[in-house]
Amino acid sequence: MRDSHELATSSRTTTLADTFVLLADTLVDDYDVVDLLDHLVMACVDLFGVSAVGLLLEDQRGRLTVMAASSEETRLLELFQLQTNEGPCLDAVRTGEVVTSDDLESDSTRWPRFGPAAVEIGYRSVTAVPLRLRGQRIGALNMFGTGHSSVTGNDRRLAQALADVATIGILQRRSIHQSNLVAEQLQHALDSRVVIEQAKGVLAERHSVGMDEAFTALRRHSRNNNLKLTDVALAVVRGELAPDLAHPRPDDA
Amino acid sequence: MIDRDHWVQLLSARPAEGVSRPQRICELCVEMLGVTGGGISVVTAAGNRGVVCATDDVAAQIEDLQFTLGVGPCMDAVSSGAPVMVNDLDALEDVAGARWTGFLKTASEIGVRAVFALPLRIGAISIGAIDLYRDTPGELSNTQLPAALLAADAAALALLAAADDPLDQLGEGLGEWPARGHQIHQATGMVQVQLGVSTEAALLSLRARAFSAGRPLGELANDVVQRRVRLTLEDEG
Repeated sequence: MRDSHELATSSRTTTLADTFVLLADTLVDDYDVVDLLDHLVMACVDLFGVSAVGLLLEDQRGRLTVMAASSEETRLLELFQLQTNEGPCLDAVRTGEVVTSDDLESDSTRWPRFGPAAVEIGYRSVTAVPLRLRGQRIGALNMFGTGHSSVTGNDRRLAQALADVATIGILQRRSIHQSNLVAEQLQHALDSRVVIEQAKGVLAERHSVGMDEAFTALRRHSRNNNLKLTDVALAVVRGELAPDLAHPRPDDA
Repeated sequence: MIDRDHWVQLLSARPAEGVSRPQRICELCVEMLGVTGGGISVVTAAGNRGVVCATDDVAAQIEDLQFTLGVGPCMDAVSSGAPVMVNDLDALEDVAGARWTGFLKTASEIGVRAVFALPLRIGAISIGAIDLYRDTPGELSNTQLPAALLAADAAALALLAAADDPLDQLGEGLGEWPARGHQIHQATGMVQVQLGVSTEAALLSLRARAFSAGRPLGELANDVVQRRVRLTLEDEG
Protein backbone atom coordinates (compact mmCIF):
# COMPACT_ATOMS: atom_id res chain seq x y z
CA MET A 1 0.00 0.00 0.00
CA ARG A 2 2.73 2.36 1.07
CA ASP A 3 4.69 1.77 -2.13
CA SER A 4 1.75 2.42 -4.35
CA HIS A 5 0.93 5.57 -2.42
CA GLU A 6 4.49 6.81 -2.82
CA LEU A 7 4.40 5.97 -6.49
CA ALA A 8 1.18 7.91 -6.88
CA THR A 9 2.65 10.85 -5.02
CA SER A 10 5.79 10.81 -7.10
CA SER A 11 3.88 10.54 -10.35
CA ARG A 12 1.67 13.41 -9.25
CA THR A 13 4.66 15.55 -8.35
CA THR A 14 6.04 14.89 -11.81
CA THR A 15 2.73 15.87 -13.42
CA LEU A 16 2.65 19.03 -11.36
CA ALA A 17 6.25 19.91 -12.22
CA ASP A 18 5.57 19.19 -15.90
CA THR A 19 2.51 21.39 -15.81
CA PHE A 20 4.30 24.37 -14.32
CA VAL A 21 7.27 23.96 -16.67
CA LEU A 22 4.90 23.80 -19.62
CA LEU A 23 2.96 26.85 -18.46
CA ALA A 24 6.16 28.80 -17.81
CA ASP A 25 7.60 27.80 -21.20
CA THR A 26 4.40 28.84 -22.86
CA LEU A 27 4.26 32.20 -21.15
CA VAL A 28 7.77 33.29 -22.12
CA ASP A 29 7.22 32.31 -25.74
CA ASP A 30 4.74 33.58 -28.28
CA TYR A 31 1.80 31.44 -27.35
CA ASP A 32 -1.77 30.61 -28.19
CA VAL A 33 -4.26 31.32 -25.42
CA VAL A 34 -6.58 28.45 -26.23
CA ASP A 35 -3.63 26.06 -26.35
CA LEU A 36 -2.45 27.22 -22.94
CA LEU A 37 -5.88 26.75 -21.41
CA ASP A 38 -6.29 23.37 -23.07
CA HIS A 39 -3.05 22.21 -21.45
CA LEU A 40 -4.25 23.55 -18.15
CA VAL A 41 -7.63 21.81 -18.07
CA MET A 42 -6.07 18.49 -19.08
CA ALA A 43 -3.48 18.84 -16.30
CA CYS A 44 -6.24 19.51 -13.76
CA VAL A 45 -7.90 16.19 -14.63
CA ASP A 46 -4.64 14.40 -13.76
CA LEU A 47 -3.74 16.48 -10.74
CA PHE A 48 -7.02 16.59 -8.89
CA GLY A 49 -8.56 13.26 -9.83
CA VAL A 50 -11.69 14.93 -11.20
CA SER A 51 -13.71 13.67 -14.14
CA ALA A 52 -14.24 16.82 -16.14
CA VAL A 53 -12.70 20.28 -16.16
CA GLY A 54 -13.74 23.43 -17.95
CA LEU A 55 -12.51 26.98 -18.02
CA LEU A 56 -15.09 29.69 -18.53
CA LEU A 57 -14.57 33.38 -19.19
CA GLU A 58 -17.06 36.14 -18.75
CA ASP A 59 -17.27 37.63 -22.21
CA GLN A 60 -17.51 41.25 -23.19
CA ARG A 61 -21.20 40.80 -23.50
CA GLY A 62 -21.53 39.84 -19.84
CA ARG A 63 -22.08 36.10 -20.24
CA LEU A 64 -19.97 33.10 -19.27
CA THR A 65 -18.52 31.21 -22.20
CA VAL A 66 -16.44 28.02 -22.38
CA MET A 67 -12.83 28.60 -23.42
CA ALA A 68 -11.38 25.14 -22.79
CA ALA A 69 -12.77 21.81 -21.65
CA SER A 70 -11.28 18.42 -20.86
CA SER A 71 -13.86 16.89 -23.16
CA GLU A 72 -15.68 18.52 -26.05
CA GLU A 73 -18.70 16.36 -25.43
CA THR A 74 -21.82 18.41 -26.11
CA ARG A 75 -23.62 17.57 -22.89
CA LEU A 76 -20.64 18.65 -20.84
CA LEU A 77 -20.26 21.90 -22.78
CA GLU A 78 -23.94 22.58 -22.30
CA LEU A 79 -23.59 21.97 -18.57
CA PHE A 80 -20.80 24.53 -18.41
CA GLN A 81 -22.77 26.94 -20.53
CA LEU A 82 -25.88 26.52 -18.39
CA GLN A 83 -24.04 28.47 -15.72
CA THR A 84 -24.61 31.71 -17.55
CA ASN A 85 -27.75 31.86 -15.41
CA GLU A 86 -26.87 29.93 -12.25
CA GLY A 87 -24.30 27.53 -10.86
CA PRO A 88 -20.99 27.28 -9.02
CA CYS A 89 -19.03 28.99 -11.82
CA LEU A 90 -21.27 32.02 -11.82
CA ASP A 91 -21.11 32.12 -8.00
CA ALA A 92 -17.30 31.92 -8.07
CA VAL A 93 -17.15 34.79 -10.58
CA ARG A 94 -19.61 36.89 -8.60
CA THR A 95 -17.99 36.32 -5.16
CA GLY A 96 -14.36 35.83 -6.10
CA GLU A 97 -14.31 32.81 -3.76
CA VAL A 98 -13.92 29.09 -4.38
CA VAL A 99 -17.39 27.51 -4.57
CA THR A 100 -17.89 23.80 -3.92
CA SER A 101 -20.54 21.16 -3.49
CA ASP A 102 -19.86 17.60 -2.28
CA ASP A 103 -23.36 16.49 -3.02
CA LEU A 104 -25.03 18.03 -6.05
CA GLU A 105 -28.17 15.94 -5.53
CA SER A 106 -28.85 17.66 -2.21
CA ASP A 107 -27.96 21.04 -3.63
CA SER A 108 -30.95 21.21 -5.92
CA THR A 109 -32.31 24.20 -4.01
CA ARG A 110 -29.03 26.08 -4.37
CA TRP A 111 -28.92 25.59 -8.15
CA PRO A 112 -32.37 24.38 -9.25
CA ARG A 113 -31.47 23.98 -12.92
CA PHE A 114 -27.75 23.36 -12.84
CA GLY A 115 -27.76 20.80 -9.97
CA PRO A 116 -30.14 18.26 -11.56
CA ALA A 117 -28.51 18.75 -14.99
CA ALA A 118 -25.09 17.90 -13.54
CA VAL A 119 -26.43 14.88 -11.65
CA GLU A 120 -28.20 13.64 -14.77
CA ILE A 121 -24.94 13.23 -16.67
CA GLY A 122 -23.24 11.56 -13.73
CA TYR A 123 -21.53 14.25 -11.65
CA ARG A 124 -21.87 14.32 -7.87
CA SER A 125 -19.42 17.00 -6.79
CA VAL A 126 -18.15 20.29 -8.15
CA THR A 127 -15.42 22.83 -7.44
CA ALA A 128 -15.33 26.27 -9.04
CA VAL A 129 -12.21 28.40 -8.65
CA PRO A 130 -12.36 32.07 -9.70
CA LEU A 131 -9.92 33.60 -12.21
CA ARG A 132 -8.92 36.85 -10.54
CA LEU A 133 -6.78 39.79 -11.41
CA ARG A 134 -6.59 42.37 -8.66
CA GLY A 135 -10.17 43.52 -8.13
CA GLN A 136 -11.48 42.00 -11.32
CA ARG A 137 -12.92 38.51 -11.85
CA ILE A 138 -12.73 37.32 -15.42
CA GLY A 139 -14.05 33.75 -15.20
CA ALA A 140 -13.68 30.46 -13.35
CA LEU A 141 -12.09 27.04 -13.48
CA ASN A 142 -14.80 24.42 -13.11
CA MET A 143 -14.10 20.83 -11.98
CA PHE A 144 -16.61 17.99 -11.75
CA GLY A 145 -16.23 14.69 -9.90
CA THR A 146 -18.30 11.53 -10.08
CA GLY A 147 -17.71 10.91 -6.35
CA HIS A 148 -18.96 12.89 -3.37
CA SER A 149 -15.82 14.91 -2.83
CA SER A 150 -14.86 18.31 -4.08
CA VAL A 151 -11.28 19.58 -4.27
CA THR A 152 -10.10 20.49 -0.75
CA GLY A 153 -7.09 21.55 1.34
CA ASN A 154 -3.76 21.90 -0.42
CA ASP A 155 -5.30 20.80 -3.70
CA ARG A 156 -7.64 23.73 -3.55
CA ARG A 157 -4.72 26.12 -3.04
CA LEU A 158 -2.95 24.45 -5.94
CA ALA A 159 -6.04 24.81 -8.12
CA GLN A 160 -6.20 28.51 -7.25
CA ALA A 161 -2.51 28.87 -8.16
CA LEU A 162 -3.16 27.23 -11.55
CA ALA A 163 -6.18 29.45 -12.05
CA ASP A 164 -3.96 32.47 -11.32
CA VAL A 165 -1.42 31.30 -13.90
CA ALA A 166 -4.24 30.92 -16.41
CA THR A 167 -5.41 34.46 -15.65
CA ILE A 168 -1.94 35.82 -16.30
CA GLY A 169 -1.75 33.78 -19.49
CA ILE A 170 -5.02 35.17 -20.76
CA LEU A 171 -4.27 38.78 -19.88
CA GLN A 172 -0.56 38.85 -20.56
CA ARG A 173 -0.63 38.79 -24.33
CA ARG A 174 0.92 41.92 -25.64
CA SER A 175 -1.48 44.45 -26.97
CA ILE A 176 -0.80 47.23 -29.42
CA HIS A 177 -1.90 49.83 -26.93
CA GLN A 178 -2.11 49.78 -23.19
CA SER A 179 -5.62 50.99 -22.66
CA ASN A 180 -8.55 48.73 -21.90
CA LEU A 181 -6.02 45.98 -21.70
CA VAL A 182 -8.15 43.44 -19.90
CA ALA A 183 -11.11 43.87 -22.21
CA GLU A 184 -8.95 43.58 -25.32
CA GLN A 185 -7.14 40.49 -24.12
CA LEU A 186 -10.37 38.80 -23.16
CA GLN A 187 -11.82 39.65 -26.53
CA HIS A 188 -8.86 38.08 -28.26
CA ALA A 189 -9.15 34.88 -26.23
CA LEU A 190 -12.87 34.58 -26.89
CA ASP A 191 -12.46 35.17 -30.62
CA SER A 192 -9.88 32.39 -30.77
CA ARG A 193 -12.40 29.99 -29.37
CA VAL A 194 -14.96 30.85 -32.07
CA VAL A 195 -12.52 29.82 -34.82
CA ILE A 196 -11.92 26.52 -33.04
CA GLU A 197 -15.65 25.80 -32.86
CA GLN A 198 -15.99 26.50 -36.60
CA ALA A 199 -13.03 24.21 -37.35
CA LYS A 200 -14.51 21.43 -35.21
CA GLY A 201 -17.70 21.70 -37.26
CA VAL A 202 -15.77 21.46 -40.54
CA LEU A 203 -13.87 18.34 -39.43
CA ALA A 204 -16.90 16.72 -37.77
CA GLU A 205 -18.87 17.02 -41.00
CA ARG A 206 -16.06 16.12 -43.38
CA HIS A 207 -15.05 12.97 -41.49
CA SER A 208 -18.37 12.07 -39.82
CA VAL A 209 -16.86 12.22 -36.34
CA GLY A 210 -17.95 13.80 -33.07
CA MET A 211 -16.86 17.24 -31.87
CA ASP A 212 -14.54 15.64 -29.33
CA GLU A 213 -12.65 13.69 -32.00
CA ALA A 214 -12.56 16.72 -34.26
CA PHE A 215 -10.96 18.75 -31.48
CA THR A 216 -8.47 15.96 -30.75
CA ALA A 217 -7.40 16.04 -34.41
CA LEU A 218 -6.88 19.82 -34.25
CA ARG A 219 -4.90 19.52 -31.06
CA ARG A 220 -2.81 16.63 -32.40
CA HIS A 221 -1.93 18.46 -35.58
CA SER A 222 -1.03 21.57 -33.62
CA ARG A 223 1.26 19.73 -31.18
CA ASN A 224 2.88 17.38 -33.69
CA ASN A 225 3.74 20.26 -35.98
CA ASN A 226 4.43 22.83 -33.30
CA LEU A 227 1.76 25.16 -34.62
CA LYS A 228 -0.64 27.32 -32.66
CA LEU A 229 -4.01 25.72 -32.14
CA THR A 230 -5.84 28.82 -33.36
CA ASP A 231 -3.70 28.96 -36.52
CA VAL A 232 -4.44 25.30 -37.25
CA ALA A 233 -8.15 25.93 -36.72
CA LEU A 234 -8.11 28.95 -39.03
CA ALA A 235 -6.32 27.02 -41.77
CA VAL A 236 -8.89 24.20 -41.49
CA VAL A 237 -11.84 26.58 -41.77
CA ARG A 238 -10.23 28.28 -44.77
CA GLY A 239 -9.70 24.91 -46.42
CA GLU A 240 -5.92 25.27 -46.41
CA LEU A 241 -5.28 22.32 -44.11
CA ALA A 242 -6.78 18.86 -43.68
CA PRO A 243 -5.45 17.23 -40.51
CA ASP A 244 -5.36 13.45 -40.49
CA LEU A 245 -8.06 11.81 -38.40
CA ALA A 246 -7.53 8.22 -39.41
CA HIS A 247 -4.42 7.32 -37.46
CA PRO A 248 -4.39 8.69 -33.97
CA ARG A 249 -1.05 8.22 -32.27
CA PRO A 250 -0.93 6.18 -29.10
CA ASP A 251 0.59 9.06 -27.12
CA ASP A 252 -2.46 11.21 -27.76
CA ALA A 253 -3.75 12.88 -24.65
CA MET B 1 -23.97 52.14 -17.19
CA ILE B 2 -25.46 50.66 -20.33
CA ASP B 3 -27.88 47.81 -19.70
CA ARG B 4 -26.90 44.91 -21.90
CA ASP B 5 -30.38 43.73 -22.81
CA HIS B 6 -31.56 47.25 -23.55
CA TRP B 7 -28.50 47.79 -25.74
CA VAL B 8 -29.18 44.57 -27.66
CA GLN B 9 -32.76 45.72 -28.20
CA LEU B 10 -31.60 49.07 -29.52
CA LEU B 11 -29.06 47.48 -31.84
CA SER B 12 -31.57 44.93 -33.09
CA ALA B 13 -34.50 47.27 -33.65
CA ARG B 14 -35.44 47.82 -37.27
CA PRO B 15 -34.09 51.18 -38.39
CA ALA B 16 -36.31 53.91 -39.78
CA GLU B 17 -37.13 53.85 -43.49
CA GLY B 18 -34.14 54.84 -45.57
CA VAL B 19 -31.57 54.22 -42.82
CA SER B 20 -29.35 51.18 -43.25
CA ARG B 21 -28.69 48.93 -40.31
CA PRO B 22 -24.92 49.63 -40.21
CA GLN B 23 -25.67 53.35 -40.33
CA ARG B 24 -28.11 53.01 -37.45
CA ILE B 25 -25.57 51.03 -35.40
CA CYS B 26 -23.01 53.82 -35.83
CA GLU B 27 -25.60 56.42 -34.84
CA LEU B 28 -26.47 54.44 -31.71
CA CYS B 29 -22.79 54.39 -30.74
CA VAL B 30 -22.75 58.18 -31.02
CA GLU B 31 -25.93 58.47 -28.95
CA MET B 32 -24.98 55.99 -26.24
CA LEU B 33 -21.21 55.51 -26.07
CA GLY B 34 -19.92 59.04 -25.79
CA VAL B 35 -18.18 59.06 -29.15
CA THR B 36 -18.33 61.93 -31.64
CA GLY B 37 -18.84 59.85 -34.75
CA GLY B 38 -18.32 56.50 -36.35
CA GLY B 39 -17.96 54.67 -39.63
CA ILE B 40 -17.82 51.15 -41.00
CA SER B 41 -15.69 49.74 -43.77
CA VAL B 42 -15.63 46.29 -45.30
CA VAL B 43 -12.42 44.59 -46.28
CA THR B 44 -12.89 41.29 -48.08
CA ALA B 45 -10.50 38.36 -48.17
CA ALA B 46 -9.77 39.24 -51.79
CA GLY B 47 -8.63 42.67 -50.62
CA ASN B 48 -11.64 44.58 -51.88
CA ARG B 49 -12.56 47.38 -49.58
CA GLY B 50 -15.25 49.94 -49.32
CA VAL B 51 -16.82 52.42 -46.95
CA VAL B 52 -20.25 51.24 -45.85
CA CYS B 53 -21.36 54.23 -43.84
CA ALA B 54 -20.24 57.16 -41.69
CA THR B 55 -22.15 59.40 -39.29
CA ASP B 56 -20.40 62.64 -40.30
CA ASP B 57 -17.77 64.11 -42.61
CA VAL B 58 -14.92 63.50 -40.19
CA ALA B 59 -15.91 59.84 -39.77
CA ALA B 60 -16.12 59.52 -43.56
CA GLN B 61 -12.67 61.02 -43.92
CA ILE B 62 -11.24 58.60 -41.35
CA GLU B 63 -12.50 55.71 -43.48
CA ASP B 64 -11.35 57.23 -46.78
CA LEU B 65 -7.99 58.16 -45.38
CA GLN B 66 -7.13 54.64 -44.34
CA PHE B 67 -8.01 53.27 -47.75
CA THR B 68 -6.00 55.95 -49.47
CA LEU B 69 -2.98 55.43 -47.26
CA GLY B 70 -3.45 51.71 -46.71
CA VAL B 71 -2.57 52.06 -43.03
CA GLY B 72 -4.24 53.09 -39.80
CA PRO B 73 -6.04 51.69 -36.79
CA CYS B 74 -8.85 50.20 -38.88
CA MET B 75 -6.39 48.36 -41.12
CA ASP B 76 -4.54 47.05 -38.08
CA ALA B 77 -7.79 45.94 -36.48
CA VAL B 78 -8.73 44.00 -39.61
CA SER B 79 -5.32 42.38 -40.05
CA SER B 80 -4.76 41.50 -36.39
CA GLY B 81 -8.37 40.70 -35.54
CA ALA B 82 -8.00 42.65 -32.30
CA PRO B 83 -9.40 46.02 -31.26
CA VAL B 84 -7.03 48.96 -31.75
CA MET B 85 -7.60 51.74 -29.26
CA VAL B 86 -5.94 55.12 -29.60
CA ASN B 87 -7.04 57.15 -26.59
CA ASP B 88 -5.00 60.19 -27.44
CA LEU B 89 -3.67 60.80 -30.92
CA ASP B 90 -1.19 63.39 -29.72
CA ALA B 91 0.31 61.08 -27.11
CA LEU B 92 0.98 58.21 -29.44
CA GLU B 93 4.67 57.45 -29.44
CA ASP B 94 4.93 53.76 -30.09
CA VAL B 95 5.67 51.61 -33.07
CA ALA B 96 2.14 51.78 -34.38
CA GLY B 97 2.27 55.57 -34.25
CA ALA B 98 5.38 55.60 -36.40
CA ARG B 99 3.71 53.39 -38.99
CA TRP B 100 0.64 55.62 -39.09
CA THR B 101 2.40 58.96 -39.43
CA GLY B 102 0.38 60.09 -42.45
CA PHE B 103 -2.89 58.95 -40.98
CA LEU B 104 -2.25 60.59 -37.62
CA LYS B 105 -1.25 63.89 -39.14
CA THR B 106 -4.38 64.20 -41.26
CA ALA B 107 -6.70 62.81 -38.59
CA SER B 108 -5.32 65.33 -36.15
CA GLU B 109 -5.86 68.17 -38.64
CA ILE B 110 -9.53 67.29 -39.08
CA GLY B 111 -10.10 67.28 -35.31
CA VAL B 112 -9.83 63.62 -34.34
CA ARG B 113 -8.35 63.17 -30.85
CA ALA B 114 -9.14 59.53 -30.10
CA VAL B 115 -10.06 56.63 -32.37
CA PHE B 116 -11.23 53.12 -31.57
CA ALA B 117 -11.17 50.52 -34.31
CA LEU B 118 -13.00 47.25 -33.66
CA PRO B 119 -12.74 44.34 -36.09
CA LEU B 120 -15.97 42.90 -37.47
CA ARG B 121 -15.22 39.25 -37.10
CA ILE B 122 -16.98 35.99 -36.33
CA GLY B 123 -14.20 33.44 -35.92
CA ALA B 124 -12.70 32.83 -39.36
CA ILE B 125 -15.18 35.25 -40.93
CA SER B 126 -13.54 38.64 -41.27
CA ILE B 127 -15.73 41.40 -42.62
CA GLY B 128 -14.12 44.75 -41.89
CA ALA B 129 -14.04 47.18 -39.02
CA ILE B 130 -16.07 49.80 -37.21
CA ASP B 131 -14.18 52.98 -36.34
CA LEU B 132 -15.43 55.25 -33.57
CA TYR B 133 -13.79 58.60 -32.96
CA ARG B 134 -13.81 61.38 -30.39
CA ASP B 135 -12.93 65.07 -30.75
CA THR B 136 -11.45 64.97 -27.25
CA PRO B 137 -8.91 62.48 -25.86
CA GLY B 138 -10.09 59.73 -23.53
CA GLU B 139 -10.57 56.00 -23.46
CA LEU B 140 -13.78 54.07 -23.74
CA SER B 141 -14.97 53.28 -20.22
CA ASN B 142 -15.38 49.80 -18.77
CA THR B 143 -19.04 49.85 -19.78
CA GLN B 144 -18.60 51.64 -23.10
CA LEU B 145 -16.07 49.16 -24.47
CA PRO B 146 -18.21 46.02 -23.98
CA ALA B 147 -21.13 47.90 -25.52
CA ALA B 148 -18.94 48.90 -28.47
CA LEU B 149 -17.88 45.27 -28.94
CA LEU B 150 -21.52 44.25 -28.97
CA ALA B 151 -22.18 46.94 -31.57
CA ALA B 152 -19.35 45.41 -33.64
CA ASP B 153 -21.09 42.01 -33.40
CA ALA B 154 -24.33 43.60 -34.52
CA ALA B 155 -22.59 45.31 -37.43
CA ALA B 156 -20.89 42.07 -38.46
CA LEU B 157 -24.20 40.22 -38.49
CA ALA B 158 -25.92 43.07 -40.31
CA LEU B 159 -23.26 43.18 -43.02
CA LEU B 160 -23.34 39.42 -43.47
CA ALA B 161 -27.01 39.62 -44.21
CA ALA B 162 -26.77 42.74 -46.32
CA ALA B 163 -25.94 40.80 -49.49
CA ASP B 164 -29.60 39.87 -49.93
CA ASP B 165 -31.38 40.61 -46.72
CA PRO B 166 -34.94 39.41 -46.56
CA LEU B 167 -34.20 38.12 -43.08
CA ASP B 168 -33.87 40.89 -40.62
CA GLN B 169 -33.71 38.62 -37.63
CA LEU B 170 -30.63 40.27 -36.27
CA GLY B 171 -31.92 40.54 -32.73
CA GLU B 172 -32.44 36.86 -32.41
CA GLY B 173 -28.96 36.04 -33.63
CA LEU B 174 -27.36 38.60 -31.40
CA GLY B 175 -29.28 37.61 -28.29
CA GLU B 176 -28.52 33.95 -28.73
CA TRP B 177 -24.88 34.41 -29.56
CA PRO B 178 -23.48 33.65 -26.12
CA ALA B 179 -25.95 31.01 -24.96
CA ARG B 180 -25.79 28.75 -28.00
CA GLY B 181 -22.68 30.34 -29.38
CA HIS B 182 -20.48 27.30 -29.59
CA GLN B 183 -23.13 25.30 -31.40
CA ILE B 184 -23.87 28.10 -33.85
CA HIS B 185 -20.18 28.19 -34.74
CA GLN B 186 -19.89 24.40 -34.95
CA ALA B 187 -22.98 24.25 -37.15
CA THR B 188 -21.50 26.97 -39.36
CA GLY B 189 -18.43 24.78 -39.91
CA MET B 190 -20.61 21.75 -40.70
CA VAL B 191 -22.84 23.63 -43.13
CA GLN B 192 -19.78 25.03 -44.86
CA VAL B 193 -18.84 21.45 -45.77
CA GLN B 194 -22.42 20.34 -46.47
CA LEU B 195 -22.95 23.10 -49.02
CA GLY B 196 -19.36 23.47 -50.16
CA VAL B 197 -19.49 27.21 -49.56
CA SER B 198 -17.53 29.83 -47.65
CA THR B 199 -17.87 30.25 -43.89
CA GLU B 200 -19.76 33.50 -44.44
CA ALA B 201 -22.22 31.85 -46.80
CA ALA B 202 -22.66 28.95 -44.38
CA LEU B 203 -23.65 31.25 -41.52
CA LEU B 204 -25.93 33.16 -43.86
CA SER B 205 -27.59 29.92 -45.00
CA LEU B 206 -28.13 28.85 -41.40
CA ARG B 207 -29.78 32.14 -40.61
CA ALA B 208 -31.91 31.96 -43.74
CA ARG B 209 -33.00 28.43 -42.92
CA ALA B 210 -33.83 29.36 -39.31
CA PHE B 211 -35.81 32.33 -40.55
CA SER B 212 -37.79 30.42 -43.17
CA ALA B 213 -38.55 27.67 -40.65
CA GLY B 214 -39.52 30.27 -38.05
CA ARG B 215 -37.09 28.82 -35.52
CA PRO B 216 -34.41 30.35 -33.30
CA LEU B 217 -30.95 30.14 -34.84
CA GLY B 218 -29.51 28.36 -31.78
CA GLU B 219 -32.17 25.66 -31.91
CA LEU B 220 -31.48 24.95 -35.58
CA ALA B 221 -27.74 24.93 -34.87
CA ASN B 222 -28.33 22.31 -32.18
CA ASP B 223 -30.21 20.15 -34.71
CA VAL B 224 -27.39 20.48 -37.22
CA VAL B 225 -24.75 19.55 -34.63
CA GLN B 226 -26.86 16.58 -33.48
CA ARG B 227 -27.17 15.61 -37.19
CA ARG B 228 -30.94 15.82 -37.17
CA VAL B 229 -30.84 18.46 -39.90
CA ARG B 230 -28.64 18.73 -42.99
CA LEU B 231 -28.64 21.71 -45.28
CA THR B 232 -28.64 21.09 -49.02
CA LEU B 233 -28.36 23.50 -51.90
CA GLU B 234 -32.00 22.83 -52.88
CA ASP B 235 -33.06 24.38 -49.56
CA GLU B 236 -31.44 27.58 -50.61
CA GLY B 237 -33.51 27.83 -53.79
